[in-house]
Amino acid sequence: MKIVVLAKPVPDPAAAAERLGSDNRLDRSAAPNVINGNDEYTLEAALQLVEAHGGEVTLVAMAPASGAETLRKGLAMGATRGLLVTDPALGGSDAWSTARVLAAALKEVEFDLVLAGFDTSDGVGGVVSAAVATLLKLPYLSSAAKIEPNPDAGTVRVRRISPTGFDVLETTMPALIVGTQLLGTPRYPSLKGIMAARSKEVAQRAVADLGLSTEGGGSAGDGAVGGSASRTTVTGKRTPPARAAAKVVRGAPADAAKEIVALLAERRLI
Amino acid sequence: MAASAGKAGGGAGAGGASAEARAGKTGKAGKAGKGGVWVVAETNPDGSLAKSSGELATLARALADAGAGDAAGIVVAPDATAAAKELATFLPRVIAISDPALKDHAWGQPAAARIAAALKDEPPGTVLAGAGPDGRDVAGTLLALLDGAVLVNATAVSWADGAASVEMGVFGGKLITTSTFAYKGWKIVTVRPNVTTAEPAASAGKVEKVAASGAAGVPAVKVVDRLEESGAAVSIDDARIIVAGGRGVGGPDGFELMQQLADRLGGAVGATRAAVDAGWVPYAQQIGQTGKIVKPQLYLAMGISGAIQHKVGMQTAGTIIAVNRDPDAPIADFADMVVVGDLFEVGKALLAELEARKG
Amino acid sequence: MAAVTGTATASTAGTGAYRLTEDQILLRDTLRELADEQIVPRAAEIDRSGEFPEDIRQLLARHDVLALPFPEAYGGVGADLLTQCIAIEQIARACVTSSLILSVQGLGSLPLLLSGTEEQQARLIPDLASGKRLIAFALTEPEAGSDAAAARTRAVRDGDDYVIDGGKRFITNGSVADIVTVFAVTDPEAKTSRRLSCFAVEVPTPGFSVVRLEHKLGIRGSPTAELSFDRMRVPAANRIGEEGDGWKLAMGTFDRSRPGIAAQAVGIAQGALDAAVAYAKDRKQFGQRIGDFQMIQAMLADMDARTEAARQLTYKACVEVEAGGPQAARWASIAKLVAGDAAMAVTTDAVQVFGGYGYTDDFPVERMMRDAKITQLYEGTQQIQRLVIARALLGKPAARIEGNEGNEGTES
Repeated sequence: MKIVVLAKPVPDPAAAAERLGSDNRLDRSAAPNVINGNDEYTLEAALQLVEAHGGEVTLVAMAPASGAETLRKGLAMGATRGLLVTDPALGGSDAWSTARVLAAALKEVEFDLVLAGFDTSDGVGGVVSAAVATLLKLPYLSSAAKIEPNPDAGTVRVRRISPTGFDVLETTMPALIVGTQLLGTPRYPSLKGIMAARSKEVAQRAVADLGLSTEGGGSAGDGAVGGSASRTTVTGKRTPPARAAAKVVRGAPADAAKEIVALLAERRLI
Repeated sequence: MAASAGKAGGGAGAGGASAEARAGKTGKAGKAGKGGVWVVAETNPDGSLAKSSGELATLARALADAGAGDAAGIVVAPDATAAAKELATFLPRVIAISDPALKDHAWGQPAAARIAAALKDEPPGTVLAGAGPDGRDVAGTLLALLDGAVLVNATAVSWADGAASVEMGVFGGKLITTSTFAYKGWKIVTVRPNVTTAEPAASAGKVEKVAASGAAGVPAVKVVDRLEESGAAVSIDDARIIVAGGRGVGGPDGFELMQQLADRLGGAVGATRAAVDAGWVPYAQQIGQTGKIVKPQLYLAMGISGAIQHKVGMQTAGTIIAVNRDPDAPIADFADMVVVGDLFEVGKALLAELEARKG
Repeated sequence: MAAVTGTATASTAGTGAYRLTEDQILLRDTLRELADEQIVPRAAEIDRSGEFPEDIRQLLARHDVLALPFPEAYGGVGADLLTQCIAIEQIARACVTSSLILSVQGLGSLPLLLSGTEEQQARLIPDLASGKRLIAFALTEPEAGSDAAAARTRAVRDGDDYVIDGGKRFITNGSVADIVTVFAVTDPEAKTSRRLSCFAVEVPTPGFSVVRLEHKLGIRGSPTAELSFDRMRVPAANRIGEEGDGWKLAMGTFDRSRPGIAAQAVGIAQGALDAAVAYAKDRKQFGQRIGDFQMIQAMLADMDARTEAARQLTYKACVEVEAGGPQAARWASIAKLVAGDAAMAVTTDAVQVFGGYGYTDDFPVERMMRDAKITQLYEGTQQIQRLVIARALLGKPAARIEGNEGNEGTES
């Protein structure tokens, strides 16, 4: 099977050092970048699928040039190769631009499945994948807890989280699937995998290589991509009002319960 | 098996009008040919209107009052009748598209295709969708079909200078940014639950039934089975009150106390990743970085340390009360009240106190 | 020597610089995550129960950690010394007992890697690299510690075998190892540096017994065994190197294993520092967090400076030892000396930062302090390290000294 995993380099949430730059765009150099946590679940699923069915996993990302280094962990986990779309003009791209770029990049890759993470820790939007699927006219299956392809039949079944449990979806491949944490805990890269990653290829593409253009204003809707074509703009930022210091309640449980109820009543929650 | 891409700027099933043409079109309806505010409604499995859609509709009316154009709603469902009628209590105009094929097909993409078809003759306006999984599916698909722009996870939406002004929390809530659109075409906003309180309009609006004719024009994803997970709980996505348990709860039995408290308070039960990984509660109730982000009015955290992965899921809650044996647990830094004690003892005492109060 | 040198280094030996490669950084970060998630939760229990952590051994084997010291040709990772030390450091931060599983796998195998025949390496290394078999290093005897050359365990040639009589003490992993690298006297009349030979003893085997395990101050999960050999037969095919090569092999081993102990010490110090910093941020007294008091700040700053200095020295020593040359022994000993003392000082100060709580097992620092002490004792006491360094300064070659003044070095 040929599986593409969309993997986004993001500032490491654990570093808690994210900030906006002076242009109110995410400052991607503020913290070391890692592969978006949710993408690791889909990568794990992809690796398990090729272990079961044979094949290879390609990581695809749109990121600054340092993204090639960030993808290394994915290669160390077992992906075969990477494809990085990188171009200074892409800095500050909005979701629409990102979807167009990823769709264009995927056009040159052969795949049975494209797997995407639920959302990213830096954008938390979760809309790009659906847009990519639509642009590529791929069947789109989201909130996947389990992915079961049938390569011989050319179909894939997915267990999708529903309000009452799971819906089992089925469609033909190629398809685009958005995964969830339920796909399974991502593996640590093995040390042999880390050493092997050194010789794996991360191909790079710029906007022009994909037949796209950064010219023109995005407002005219003429298909330009990149930061200058962004259709949204940040107009301001503020820190949320800090809470007052917590009231610490000690003592017997019965008394503590009374204090809780008093607060709830005061705030009209009961 | 190479895949083929849609044409740049276009997409399947949306009538194929080019972006430029759409951007300049005035089309019918709307005061002075201005785009309106469109609510993409979601329905519950039983066909009723989702709670979040009433909230979106109320928000749409507020934007319309502020000059955003006419507010309207679209319901796409196997049988849209009931939900459309309900939505009409919030909005002056509702388009109801009943598509029986949706009964056993995945909803998001085909629904978006129907919506895009319904909107194709409208002047480009603002579309409001939920920020949950189904809302995102529709929003992302519409983004491509309508060649639009999107702002996500809005915690506040207002109308300023002729465009939507959207607030969203970033960096786990540490910062709130305000954004707007720099675009004249279709603009989509995904909105979090509990951002507005649903309020019916003064009088009910009109429902227009529109046929779902022809193929949706998107690839078919069939539902071949539906599996019920036992004990699927009240959804935490839009719960007003959440009682959440962490590692300290110790096991599935301990969560019974959480459920009792939630029932008594009229809320839902949530959990940290540790409790979900241990198999004590289903993933649907997980709150945090890899689970759900919630904004209830009350978050009662039982035996939860407040590590960053969980914090980002709930720190914007209106009131946060933590019960923990450790007064220096990280949660103390962002809670309104920290009760130092055993969560079971305090929990039971709280239950008793609440029962006594209700009489 | 070919089997020993790793291929992954981007170091610049001798020019005074080293630089971590991206692989090494990824490896470091991966092992840190693995240690934090899988080993830290077990550390206190391992110390309390004193049981060898078989689960951690499996974990390390599964993640190719035990493959680090071995050549790729035999299923190893072929990591250079610096990479191995980075790994030891990350694990030691979490649990010193666990880090010993890796460092002793390297130590015990070094004679085989340095001087083993191709046949021996092909036969023995694959299972060591996969972690299927563990190996121990048995040089020390009850009467031969720092004065290791005074070993009395005797190996007598008998046909195709050697018959070994005697015993060893303080042998790490001696009770769980599948192969024990034993140093025994083959020529009692020869001068010190030619008395010993080295044997890879595959156990269990008749005559081999574990007499007892030590009850220790620290590294309690690591079984430290007293071994007894009673007419134990070892095939001559398992003799490593020629007869009389034992001493040279042992000393050559220490040059490569001492930086590993230094890395272990750096890891211990870092773990203690991290715990103390976290505590200083959380703990409140006199209405503020104790991290805001200057005396605490001074302690933490000194702890950090000392740990970082030890780390940089250790990394540099790895590069120099890997490059070989007459200064290798001096570098190895300086690193071990400085890092061991740093670990002891930093962990002691960490307990101090915690105050009374640091004395209890509610917090890990008392265990770290107990664990740190061994780094000043094994693989050559700090005093032995000073002798090695002094010899390098005073003009004698840092390589082994022939004759009686050359006695030095214990093992772990």
